[in-house]
Amino acid sequence: MLKINRVRINPFLSWVLFLGIFIVAGLAAGGIVFSKGLIVTNLSDLVPWGLWITIDLSAIAMSAGAFLLCAAVYLLGLKRFQPVARTATFIGLIGYSMAVLTLLLDIGRPDRFWHALLYWNPHSVLWEVTMCVTLYFTVLILESAPIFGNLPFLKQRLPGVSNQLHRLHRLAPYLAVVGLCLSMLHQSSLGATYGVLKARPIWYRPDLSVLFMVSAIAGGISLTVLVSMLAARLSPGRVQVNDQLLDRLALVVGWVLVGYLYFRFWDAFSMTYTYQPGRTEGLQVLTKGLLSFNFWAGEILLGAVIPIILLLPKRFRSQPGLRMLALLLVVGGIVAYRWDTNLAGQLVLLTYLPQEIAARYTTYVPSLIEFLAGAGVVAYGVLALTLGIRYFSVVSHPVEEELYEPELKPLVSGTD
Amino acid sequence: MEKSNINRRDFLKLLGIGGAVFTGLQAFRRVSASGPAGSSSHRWAMVIDQAKCVGCGHCTLACRAHNDVPPTISWNRVIEVDKIGDMPVFLPRPCMHCEHPPCVEVCPVKASTKRADGIVMMDYDRCIGCRYCEVACPYVARAFNWEEFTQANPAVPTWGQPEVPRRPRGVVEKCSFCYQRIDRGLEHGLTPGVDEDATPACVVACQMGARAFGDLNDPESNVSQLLDHNPSYRLREDLGTNPRVYYLPAREENV
Repeated sequence: MLKINRVRINPFLSWVLFLGIFIVAGLAAGGIVFSKGLIVTNLSDLVPWGLWITIDLSAIAMSAGAFLLCAAVYLLGLKRFQPVARTATFIGLIGYSMAVLTLLLDIGRPDRFWHALLYWNPHSVLWEVTMCVTLYFTVLILESAPIFGNLPFLKQRLPGVSNQLHRLHRLAPYLAVVGLCLSMLHQSSLGATYGVLKARPIWYRPDLSVLFMVSAIAGGISLTVLVSMLAARLSPGRVQVNDQLLDRLALVVGWVLVGYLYFRFWDAFSMTYTYQPGRTEGLQVLTKGLLSFNFWAGEILLGAVIPIILLLPKRFRSQPGLRMLALLLVVGGIVAYRWDTNLAGQLVLLTYLPQEIAARYTTYVPSLIEFLAGAGVVAYGVLALTLGIRYFSVVSHPVEEELYEPELKPLVSGTD
Repeated sequence: MEKSNINRRDFLKLLGIGGAVFTGLQAFRRVSASGPAGSSSHRWAMVIDQAKCVGCGHCTLACRAHNDVPPTISWNRVIEVDKIGDMPVFLPRPCMHCEHPPCVEVCPVKASTKRADGIVMMDYDRCIGCRYCEVACPYVARAFNWEEFTQANPAVPTWGQPEVPRRPRGVVEKCSFCYQRIDRGLEHGLTPGVDEDATPACVVACQMGARAFGDLNDPESNVSQLLDHNPSYRLREDLGTNPRVYYLPAREENV
């Protein structure tokens, strides 16, 4: 009897179950955080920001594809990229929701998350960041509305609602303008959140805004292209992609990385010129201390140099395996950059004692609860993306009738 | 764009309405903001004489009792910083109550504010616990409530009675110059720094007389006099935060 009931394991179902395990573990960890408080983390008064901030910053960075591709399609008129912009918008929506989830975990009083919307301190970069998150999240919901209108259930049972959601598409050009402003402000302000703090010399420089922005552009496009390629490979027949578009975008990532590496080089190099208390020590932690493996291997070699080599020449880029590897490395490199930046400023502590302005060192390793809750948030993001690809066709390049530009000819005929 | 029902004019109209709503909201917030008065006749400051401090830590304990601070947190740490001969030199570190407080500037919800008399205040009902102020403070003067403080306070009643409510879990707290004592004292016609009931608990508790508190606006106050007649310094003056806590250094001749 048992043998008859045993069906062939459905890869989709097992993938969802696999993610489900992490989500359940994450929910349990989150429950512990909310009931016992942040004492269950390894955060301290010296290192108050840790793993969750890194996940938050990375999720936002990976969402940058949305505003870029929407701007390219609706403002620059590169209409060919419209289907990719759709994918990027959905990724952005998921990324921002992940950021909101980690922030709720991270702040001491999640019940007061709305305070920033009511009690304004326009002088605070974090206030501005909060407003950007809220407003841009709203823009992303509106931009994604037509995607949700695609749900077969809505189309069949509630065609009215589905149509209404689709009609929101006419706002796309305006949303692209608003999204461009908010998102650029947000991405660079996250760098400025660190960059304005005089007490932390390794952060206290204007470059962080630029570096956060440029790295987010590389990371956001990378994840969009990577997800599209993965979806097409894992469910052939169901998901169609136009490889020409993805190839072009991968090339863009390659060049953005060149720019990023250039800024990064001068940013780091300029800090080596003179000794400056705290800043020099911070740089040393990064280049030869605790974070040096992350920095050299994760950020520079695997995160930028190798992807540049793989993405710029047509020879490597046209091989899907190599291209996907390069894009994955870029994503990893951006996460490593956020982690390193966040910790470099906190592991080095400048004393305030009168005799010496000297650096002291501290350490931080996330607790199991932090890892579980963080993994839960990431698993939620991956699951949402999986479901989006399967049920909302967020990766689907054949042109459908409701698409923005009717003049474009279908590249591949639709499957449904 | 032929499908679009919104033309440029409508878009501009919407933008205009949005702008008007925004301006209105701003005006409303300004009117409804019941902040502290714009000016005050006082400028509170603390002077700590390191030559007199013996590092007994009574100030920390009195602070814990009067402000109901848990044993895991010190609003006022006493740190051994140096040795002159065999004598250790200490540095008690309350909140610096900076004139340009980085914590106030970065707080996203205005839970950290600066009063007109210079005291940097925390609104524990407003704080969301993001800990940006902790990251921004150069003096590590701020502490986060990682867990709920439910036990009896071991510093009470030996070192005094709590005068302010306990902070909930999940907010950042710090030294307040015992604003409750200052404000109540002033209401009763007392002079902070002179009358004990109107003076911060750590100053009252110091048996060595290492701490002085008073009004910098009053040239006759003890703090003004001490600063007039002694060399003094403040912590990390290079940052431009302009602390209101001054130190009289311990030197070989005055230990």
